[in-house]
Amino acid sequence: MKVVVKNWHAIAQWKWDTGNNDADDGDVEGDVCGICRVPYEGCCPSCKVPGDDCPLIWGECSHVFHMHCLLKWIGTAASKQQCPMDRRPWVTAERKVDATTNSAPTP
Amino acid sequence: MAVSTRRLQKELTEITTAGTPCGITLLKADDFQTWFLTLEVLGESLYQGEVFALMFRFDSQYPISSPAVQFVNDETYQPPIHPHVYSNGHICASILGSEWSPVLSVIAVCITLQSMLASCKDKTRPPDNDRYVAHAPDNPKKTRFVYHDDEV
Repeated sequence: MKVVVKNWHAIAQWKWDTGNNDADDGDVEGDVCGICRVPYEGCCPSCKVPGDDCPLIWGECSHVFHMHCLLKWIGTAASKQQCPMDRRPWVTAERKVDATTNSAPTP
Repeated sequence: MAVSTRRLQKELTEITTAGTPCGITLLKADDFQTWFLTLEVLGESLYQGEVFALMFRFDSQYPISSPAVQFVNDETYQPPIHPHVYSNGHICASILGSEWSPVLSVIAVCITLQSMLASCKDKTRPPDNDRYVAHAPDNPKKTRFVYHDDEV
């Protein structure tokens, strides 16, 4: 028998690597940015398209936000440059790339 | 669309689908500028049987900028008598001013104010009530409150 593939649809899904994948607590909607309440995979209210142009930002305190949302907050005097979650001084963390590249499943 | 509208739309959806915590009800949210909620303290407190109303006013930068929150003072609702609540409804609470955070929400503010009332042991007006009310701006956000204790 000969099968001829006439057409096909490729479907892909992407997700920001928040380093929180194994802590899957059954949250169906996924994690949202605490500032705008839009999922990380969505975009901040000022953007129209999710993805690389509306990235996430990580703090050394481990809290994650849409970068644009956090910068808007940090840009205000009222923020005192503190993390909105824990009010510690905001320090942007370097992304830990090894968590992404060695994506072999860990027990 | 203003940033505040999208965030408030989400909060409103959550309130209408998941409901509000005990003692808090949504009174009016016809637009994304001004909301009204009722607040009462359940269980034993100095405010047993009293129902208050809160007015929230949002600017287009909410939640980056804090909402202006005050107790309603009209024929139906009067502000609670509390050391941090002025007779015009203005509230001296740090989370509405210097301790505001954009991860807070309308419901989070209501819960904080509810517990502020619940823990009250002395039903009195602020000592500077008359002086403050005589010159208070319409919008409590324009007042630079000095926070006297860190209970709230």
